Amino acid sequence: MKRIKTYHWFCILLLVAGLTFWGCAKKEAEPIKIGGIFDITGPTSAVGKDYAQACKDAERYINANGGINGRKIHLIDNDYAYKIPEAVNLYKQYKDVDKVFVIQGWGTGDTNALKAQVTKDKIVYISASYDSALCDPSKTPYNFFVVTSYSDCIRLAMQFVKEQAAKKVVFTYPDHPYGKAPIPAGKAMAKELGLEVGPDEIVGLRAIDATSQLLHMKQFNPDWAWIGGTTPSASVTVKDAVKLGLKTKFISNIWGFDENLLQLLGDAGNERMYGMEPLAMYGADVPGMKPILEFNKKYSPDAVHTVRYIQGWTAMMVMWEGLKRADKAGQLNGPGLKAALETLKDFDTGGLAAPITYTPTDHRPTMSATIYKMSQGKLVPVKKVSIAREDRFLGW
Amino acid sequence: MPTGLFHSTYKDDEKIFQAIWLKCWMGGLLLFLFVGLPFIAPALSGIFGFSVQHMANMIGIYIIGAHGLNLLTGFTGQISLGHGAFMGVGAYTSAILFMKAGWPFWLSLPAAGLVTAGVGMIFGVPSLRLRGLYLAIATMAAQFIIGYAMRNWTSLTGGSGGLNVDRPSFLGFALDTDLHYYYLILVLAIVSTVFLKNLLRTRTGRAMVAVRDRYLSAEIMGVNLFKYRLLAFGISSFYVGVAGGLFAHYNLVVSDEHFTMWLSIQYLAMVIIGGLGHVLGGIFGTIFMVLLPEVLRIPTQILSNIYPNIFAIFGTLRELVFGLVIILFLIFEPDGLAARWHTIRAYWKLWPFSY
Repeated sequence: MKRIKTYHWFCILLLVAGLTFWGCAKKEAEPIKIGGIFDITGPTSAVGKDYAQACKDAERYINANGGINGRKIHLIDNDYAYKIPEAVNLYKQYKDVDKVFVIQGWGTGDTNALKAQVTKDKIVYISASYDSALCDPSKTPYNFFVVTSYSDCIRLAMQFVKEQAAKKVVFTYPDHPYGKAPIPAGKAMAKELGLEVGPDEIVGLRAIDATSQLLHMKQFNPDWAWIGGTTPSASVTVKDAVKLGLKTKFISNIWGFDENLLQLLGDAGNERMYGMEPLAMYGADVPGMKPILEFNKKYSPDAVHTVRYIQGWTAMMVMWEGLKRADKAGQLNGPGLKAALETLKDFDTGGLAAPITYTPTDHRPTMSATIYKMSQGKLVPVKKVSIAREDRFLGW
Repeated sequence: MPTGLFHSTYKDDEKIFQAIWLKCWMGGLLLFLFVGLPFIAPALSGIFGFSVQHMANMIGIYIIGAHGLNLLTGFTGQISLGHGAFMGVGAYTSAILFMKAGWPFWLSLPAAGLVTAGVGMIFGVPSLRLRGLYLAIATMAAQFIIGYAMRNWTSLTGGSGGLNVDRPSFLGFALDTDLHYYYLILVLAIVSTVFLKNLLRTRTGRAMVAVRDRYLSAEIMGVNLFKYRLLAFGISSFYVGVAGGLFAHYNLVVSDEHFTMWLSIQYLAMVIIGGLGHVLGGIFGTIFMVLLPEVLRIPTQILSNIYPNIFAIFGTLRELVFGLVIILFLIFEPDGLAARWHTIRAYWKLWPFSY
């Protein structure tokens, strides 16, 4: 009995000592802390894992290449499983405990849920949600993202299908903020172009079957359909369309189109599956790809990455540039970083993304994208498209 | 001088704090909650790496809701899988009344409770005929119907994007920081605990327990089954509705995603892990369920800093451990944390001369 007690005391002592050292060690080096809110286990983890890994790798790359004018950064990575309450918990932690002034966030639902708070707390929030509602600095001055917004993508997609002589279109999307966000813009554009819009079809992010939705869609028999899900749900939709003998072609939002489709869809997507992709595919022949490939060769040669990796990497690179500029101006804080990012004009990511411009009145980074299609087991670029930066498109 | 507790009247026997020491302990606990915890919260946050103040607030809010479900499931024996949605009804009611109708907070919060009580009673009607699993499925319908309404009644609820809510001021006192809000939550959590504890000592409370233990005998004794079952649903939903209202104004945004089936199951897990049919159960269970995922983040974080290459795996690990801990808990503590608490107390009562 006595021996057990001594052992207990020893354990407690060890724990206390460990915590103390841990606490001290944390205080010694003072890197710039960055909050990370990623989906690694949730409904969008199929695309979220690679994105998160890219952010974590980019942290290492940035630190190995001079950091923020000599200072290191530390990305605090956390999984929130695509649950808004978890994201709010993490946000409170980053704000109160880690005292960050910049966060790398993820989904549309949580980014929208937090936008009022980040504005109040003056924390720059770079999201992987490319929702147009985040582009209007008069409403969300602290929200940024790095590629063409969903709504501009859907507008471009509508223009493209019109060129392909489409007459009837249908929108399929998950009943989720991410899926629903660009639909009004798409419908307005379709109306403007004189396209007939059929009834919407809801295909969940974790759907494994879309037969009933597609049977319903078959009655309307559209020439083209928009897919507003992620890669797994996009592949389910297209496969079931082939199974049911639909002639419809599909054009997907950015999160529904990547290298994984080749495996998921196989022949079913051949000449039928199109996608909006504002970024270079992983391994594409652009100057910005070189450091990425070198980094991966060195640290994780077996890893397989997709365009999601490029998305995460680009988000970190833009933040890096902003932090460097803010540091030079001596304003390494939320408002300082916001101001620094707003000085970016045609910022070149080495061809990874289209040149990025932010201004104090417009946070739309770019207005162009590339349309890809699946052809002969490859993702082939079809056309570079862009839309005029009109004020009437800002914020929705 | 008596050497133990010897009651000579029923009144004595029914006292909540049977010894003066208990009152002292309780006073100490209250002092800690009101003064000590806010004072040490920042230091604790630094050690644990999550915001302790925020967690205390979440625990307070969920305690109110868990008390509600405990009254229904633990004391009246009616299972509900709709409490997540009911919390949503409360949250949306308070948010809409406050933001759109311009009601003051001290009116919108009780209104949230009342509306939720009404909704809860509607979904409680099947409890007259249904029991056990069947009732669980019937209340699950609430989850789907209310969830659908929250997502698609866009003009009222803001659709799936959610509804932004402002922090209220209460009697001229702006509740704009987490600490200010903490006091509001704390007071309401204490009031709800005291009310629940006292409710169980009344005729109503005893009737509910009778319904739980053997409804046939209760009916024969003259307990109106339908009335008490419905009443339990009403009071229980009122609790959860108030929790929802508090949550809405604390969280600054409400969306249907907060109030899914997962929340209903979490509530059930709280009362089961804490201990069904113990007032303390709701409190212990909530603390456990809210803190466990946050505590599990700590090893995940350390590991991911050591192995940045495969850090994505550790996120999955956390979910696995969370599930595992709950299973182990149910195997080794089937009566819940409240029962364990009583055992520990009994042990210390006789310490060091236990036999």
